[in-house]
Amino acid sequence: MKSLEDLKKLRDQIRDDMKIRDKGERVKITIGMGTTGIASGAREVLKTIVNELETRNFSDVEILQTGSIGLDAKEPLLTVEKPGLPKVTYGLVTMEMAKRIVVEHVINSQIIGDWVIRSS
Amino acid sequence: MKLFRIHALVCAGTGCISSGSKTLEEALNEQLQNYNLSDEVQVIETGCRGACEQGPLILIYPEGVIYRKVGTEDIKDIVEEHFLKGRLVERLLFTEPGKDQVIPTIDEVPFFKKQARFVLQNCGTIDPYKIEEYIARDGYFALAKALYEMSPQQVIEEIKTSGLRGRGGAGFPTGLKWEFCSKAEGSPKYIICNADEGDPGAFMDRSILEGSSYSVIEGMTIAAYAIGATKGYVYVRAEYPLAIERMEWAIKEAKNKGLLGSNILNSGFNFDIEIRIGAGAFVCGEETALLASIEGKRGEPRPRPPYPAQKGLWDKPTVINNVETLANIPLIIFHGFQWFRSMGTEKSPGTKVFALAGKVNNSGLVEIPMGLPLKDVIYEIGGGIPKGEKFKAALTGGPSGGVIPSHMINTPLDFESLAAIGAIMGSGGLIVVDNSSCMVDLAKFFLTFTADESCGKCPPCRVGTRELLKILNRITRGQGKLEDLDLIESIGLMIKQTSLCGLGQTAPNPVLSTLKHFRKEYETHIIDKRCPAGVCDSLMISPCENECPINLNVPAYLQLCLEGKIFDAYSVIIEENPLPAICGRVCHRPCEHVCRRNQVDTPVAIDDVKRYIVDYVYSHWDEYQLYLKERGVKKLASNNHRVAIVGSGPAGLTAGYFLAKLGYKVTIFEAKSEAGGMLRYAIPEYRLPKEILRKEIKNITDLGVDIKLNTKIGIDISLEELKREGYAAVLVAIGASKGQTLKIDGSNLNGVWSGLEFLDKVNSNETIVIGERVVVIGGGNVAIDAARSSLRLGAKEVTILYRREKEDMPADHREIEEAEHEGINFILLGAPTSIVGENGKVTAIKYAKMTLGYFDDNGRRVPIATNEEILKYCDTVILAVGQSIETEGLLMEIGIQLAKNGQVIVNHHTLESSIPMVYAGGDVVTGPATVSGSMSQGKRFAKTIDAFFNGGEDRLSQLKTVYDFAFAIPPEEEVPVKRQEPEMLSSAKRISNFKEVVKSFNSKQVITECGRCLRCDVKEVTDEE
Repeated sequence: MKSLEDLKKLRDQIRDDMKIRDKGERVKITIGMGTTGIASGAREVLKTIVNELETRNFSDVEILQTGSIGLDAKEPLLTVEKPGLPKVTYGLVTMEMAKRIVVEHVINSQIIGDWVIRSS
Repeated sequence: MKLFRIHALVCAGTGCISSGSKTLEEALNEQLQNYNLSDEVQVIETGCRGACEQGPLILIYPEGVIYRKVGTEDIKDIVEEHFLKGRLVERLLFTEPGKDQVIPTIDEVPFFKKQARFVLQNCGTIDPYKIEEYIARDGYFALAKALYEMSPQQVIEEIKTSGLRGRGGAGFPTGLKWEFCSKAEGSPKYIICNADEGDPGAFMDRSILEGSSYSVIEGMTIAAYAIGATKGYVYVRAEYPLAIERMEWAIKEAKNKGLLGSNILNSGFNFDIEIRIGAGAFVCGEETALLASIEGKRGEPRPRPPYPAQKGLWDKPTVINNVETLANIPLIIFHGFQWFRSMGTEKSPGTKVFALAGKVNNSGLVEIPMGLPLKDVIYEIGGGIPKGEKFKAALTGGPSGGVIPSHMINTPLDFESLAAIGAIMGSGGLIVVDNSSCMVDLAKFFLTFTADESCGKCPPCRVGTRELLKILNRITRGQGKLEDLDLIESIGLMIKQTSLCGLGQTAPNPVLSTLKHFRKEYETHIIDKRCPAGVCDSLMISPCENECPINLNVPAYLQLCLEGKIFDAYSVIIEENPLPAICGRVCHRPCEHVCRRNQVDTPVAIDDVKRYIVDYVYSHWDEYQLYLKERGVKKLASNNHRVAIVGSGPAGLTAGYFLAKLGYKVTIFEAKSEAGGMLRYAIPEYRLPKEILRKEIKNITDLGVDIKLNTKIGIDISLEELKREGYAAVLVAIGASKGQTLKIDGSNLNGVWSGLEFLDKVNSNETIVIGERVVVIGGGNVAIDAARSSLRLGAKEVTILYRREKEDMPADHREIEEAEHEGINFILLGAPTSIVGENGKVTAIKYAKMTLGYFDDNGRRVPIATNEEILKYCDTVILAVGQSIETEGLLMEIGIQLAKNGQVIVNHHTLESSIPMVYAGGDVVTGPATVSGSMSQGKRFAKTIDAFFNGGEDRLSQLKTVYDFAFAIPPEEEVPVKRQEPEMLSSAKRISNFKEVVKSFNSKQVITECGRCLRCDVKEVTDEE
């Protein structure tokens, strides 16, 4: 470490990794992890989301799980809450859809209206 | 970038490691692999979070959920339920003390929420092995700022202006110390981190070293830059292996990153740190002894001046700062002095870490802004005293500190306020004690420690602490004299004034401070040979005996009963208690409260056993007479002294009984038509059958006590006449029989009763027209008695209205439970605002909904009225909101000295009032209290009178018999036996009558209960000095 810049660089890099331990406004992604959810592929969807976020270097997120909300026929269910945008739930999410949701909605704030089953 | 969706922070401080957090971490990693989650969940080992008692702790992000007391068996659930399915594992969450409601996130747990964690901000939130994580939290930016932007003088100025004071104990201004050293002649200069934390119970330095070692190193480096040192030492005790390991690691890492060593951050500044391990002598925390120890010499203090800042390590200028002080440095440099001064008080700015321990629900390390009142730390952060016990005192500063007694609970925790009351801040130990701690014993504990740790250089400290200890030992064995207290003060003062170092100068503090604030407790040990807390073993038979106001030898009668010697058991009881069948029914059972069996499962049902024994004897009275014939009744020969007692309640009856046994001629004057006082006229038949009362009064009159009924002293006979008739002494025991009223609208309406007046009528068999819907206001025994009596008199709906919560009710909790069983409604958190009437008769009551607000000085939340007002229809209102003493009449007439609340002022050792040979006892002295409490006063009066006529001889104990019973500790049971509960009359059978509700034990239950006694009366014989 030879200068303030070195120090800042290291700080900012590690800060991203530690972001989920901080408070602050972040995108909340909630995945239904009830039995039906898992059976219809929620785990794979979840992993895809994590991988996609990693690839895109986007760490301002909180990934949460929830139980069944009763809409079993639409599982896997994915809810995205981005500050400034309505809370949106996507149904019958596939791995491919998950990738697009991350890029378009989570990162670029474009809700994919066709897949939305509920919005508030 | 590698993104983990979950961070699981496993606490790996010394506390959590010793409760198993290492195996937990292994189990966690294993389960993560099993569930294929290893690349989604990052496990991070952190330093201490402070809630060590709740450990091991696991903190989970992004939610901030905190799990406590996690076992390896819980890991599978955490992984499967929480990590995989997003469901919380409820059983591992924090709860409100004494309540079931869970608190999932760390931000909501009161213990963490109310703290101001800055020095501890990295403890438990970062991986102490990763310097990167420290840097990510702005670590080393303070050093960079100092090196790049500030001159050494500016750094010193910044610290000086911040007002930072040494956190190790003495509170010396840190900036000033630095300035002295920086200006001192000599080179090289040294900076030393004093991590020789020695106070029993204090562990903030260890936690900081373990959890945030980089902040200490950064602080030292800044200090070195400021004073011009190039070499630093960390002096840490060998019993902190983990702190040493992490510190060594941190030093290595800092060097690797160019943040320590030569040319730090390319600034040209060089600084290196070395660790020196101490052997754990308490005196080495003293700076000059510490220096000697680093130099390889015997750890002994030397006179100052010269101060280390001038002549320190190897006679070179040296700054010695405590760990917590150094951990504050980067914060002040980074945020600026204004930020630092925005917390705490003018003279004690910033925060302080306290090690909260003892009788408090949440113990652990807490960081608070200085000046926060002790009350907030104990109740808001600490969650109050366990089991709802009463706060007695807090001890600050460990073996160098003093006590804060309960009436000073609002004392702000800062340097000045603590010093002003004779306690000190010290390094931040904060031990909370409740009534089960003896202050003499506490002083003895700390003095034993300092006497052991005294290095021996100064005779006043070496010899003086031993002498003090001898005196304390005498006092706790009942061999103390009142002069000892003056001796303690003079020796203590001498040690303080003539010792060289802080150890001796502060060693007498605990004893001096407890003596100052708890002199009465010392005196009780000396005069009454009694330890009120039930700690000093040589002063009592057992905790139950000690706590019993009339000192019943409980283990003796339990054992005699177990051995089938039931008449012997009864004889043991009536040696101390003339009203045992009454006590067996209505005593508030202080003995069971302190029963050591409670620490295993539940207390022995002492009172029920007593009742069984007495009921048995009363139903085998002829047999008992034969037994008596054989044994003989112990009673002293009659003398000619006459004693008058006014009032035939428990105090008067007890006094009469013991005086008669001692040979006195006793007359009890009773204004009512039947004897018994409150026992007769306040306690309903279903709790205490009149037949039982009459039987026990007859036992007393059979001894020769004369009871004159329908005779009111002051009206029928004057005090003067009593004297003329030859009464040598008078005991005024008229109780507190006046019901208090509420000053609200409508309290004079028809249908409004005072609780005591109501019970008096019920107990006098007067015809009472009770309404259909009764509301009783209050939460004491009178309220419950009135409510249950109303039900029995035919009320359709009975409701108790109380302004706090059920657990706050002063009434006996079994009575409350029975009231519920009988169908009585409870409206809690409601305070009456007015009683509504029509045509002069009650039609409803209006009450305000209350909420519980801040804590009062007794640790109870204060009920505060909300805007919500509710109307409840009713036709009868019974006000049971307190009792008071009837001062009009006798008391006023004879001109006895009264306190403001109407209580008679007496000498508490003799019960003598302001008028010679006129004594007072029972509720009239104590205010409304308990049956056994009143009895103890009656007994005390008998002893005083006898001592007066017989030159101080204790003739009562000569009347005692030695009974033969086994004296052995019972073998440990494999399966604990559950406490027996007495059978009760079913609720259906009780409602329309006044039949006794609680039944006597059966013989099997009695044997079980007697066998549950742990026999605290059997003592190990030690040949201690």
